[in-house]
Amino acid sequence: MSEPEDRRKQLLQLAAGAVFLAIAVVLVLIVVNGSSGGDGGDTSLEGVAEVNRELAGIPQQGMVLGDPKAPVELVEFADLQCPYCKAFAEEVLPSIIETQVKNGEAKVAFHNFTIIGEQSPPAGAAALAAGAQGRGWNYVKLFYRNQGTEDSGYADDAFLESVAKGAGVENLEKWNQDRAKFLPEVEATTAEAQELGFNGTPSFAIEGPKTKGLEPLGTPESVGDLEKAIAEAG
Amino acid sequence: MTHPSEWTLRRAIAFCAALGVGVATYIAVEAAGGDAPQCIAGSTGCATVAKSSYSHVAGVNIAVFGIVGYVLLLASAFFANDLARFGGFVVALGGFGYSVFLTYIEIFKIEAICQWCVGSAVLMTILFVLNATRLIGYAGTEGEGTAGRSSLREAPG
Repeated sequence: MSEPEDRRKQLLQLAAGAVFLAIAVVLVLIVVNGSSGGDGGDTSLEGVAEVNRELAGIPQQGMVLGDPKAPVELVEFADLQCPYCKAFAEEVLPSIIETQVKNGEAKVAFHNFTIIGEQSPPAGAAALAAGAQGRGWNYVKLFYRNQGTEDSGYADDAFLESVAKGAGVENLEKWNQDRAKFLPEVEATTAEAQELGFNGTPSFAIEGPKTKGLEPLGTPESVGDLEKAIAEAG
Repeated sequence: MTHPSEWTLRRAIAFCAALGVGVATYIAVEAAGGDAPQCIAGSTGCATVAKSSYSHVAGVNIAVFGIVGYVLLLASAFFANDLARFGGFVVALGGFGYSVFLTYIEIFKIEAICQWCVGSAVLMTILFVLNATRLIGYAGTEGEGTAGRSSLREAPG
């Protein structure tokens, strides 16, 4: 056999080997990812892809959703275990996010006001730790989406971690380390809510060019009430 | 089996690779600016995919790896030797395999389709076919393979 023919045979054998290797690598990647969590892979949670899709493209800094330069800040004081907060987050806030947040008129901040039970502060701190990685609102919305019976003990470490995975928190180790660090902030915002005179969740406050600092709004009845409050504050 | 001339294959590879450099650069530039590539017809799939944890490997946006791959494929089209033929095939195989994986991720994990990623996957598929044809047709050939058949296999004896 001539030298070029030899070389040709060797190259084609190497190419065939590379094809088998590539097929094996792709199959392994698919199997490994199929059995792990991720942006849509945690099948124990509902609405992972939907929540992440809803918030895609909207800036998040800490627990603030929307353009950081937006003139009006709407502050929601809520407890992740509170069913009324879930209802408000799923039925009222999306309209505000779609309009006044996306057009840069307002931003919405989530502040913990933990009043339900002993699992509420760790859950709130878990959301703040997700916020440190730009996934705070994904965490809050996904938590609400999978909320269990009020203070029934469902919000344990495993649940909090599965929400973090579903929310797309990239560095779970850091998230886990950060959780305890954020507990004082949960206490601080709970105290802030009490100072504003709130005694139930969800409660809202607003700050803008036409307000005197952070002014309490209470719990608006409808989307229209919130839209009006934002318009008046700006 | 007849093949297109290596001249034709090299130019087709260069054309597709240049398009790929453009697509990957657009995605990488948008991501570097904190935005997501714009999908056509108001679809939010591009933003969803761009914000997903699968958009980065070891902290580097995968579009950057795409740029490197397409540039290597473009470079391979400029040379008519076995190193370029085999190197181009290996890079295209890697790009094609990774595109298959990413398409699986988009459909079954992220549940969103990024049109730019699909465009890149299509280009990688074409490039894999072109490079495989080039390698099978002209491996072992000295200089540029002529139209129709490998010059090696055309040689008598």
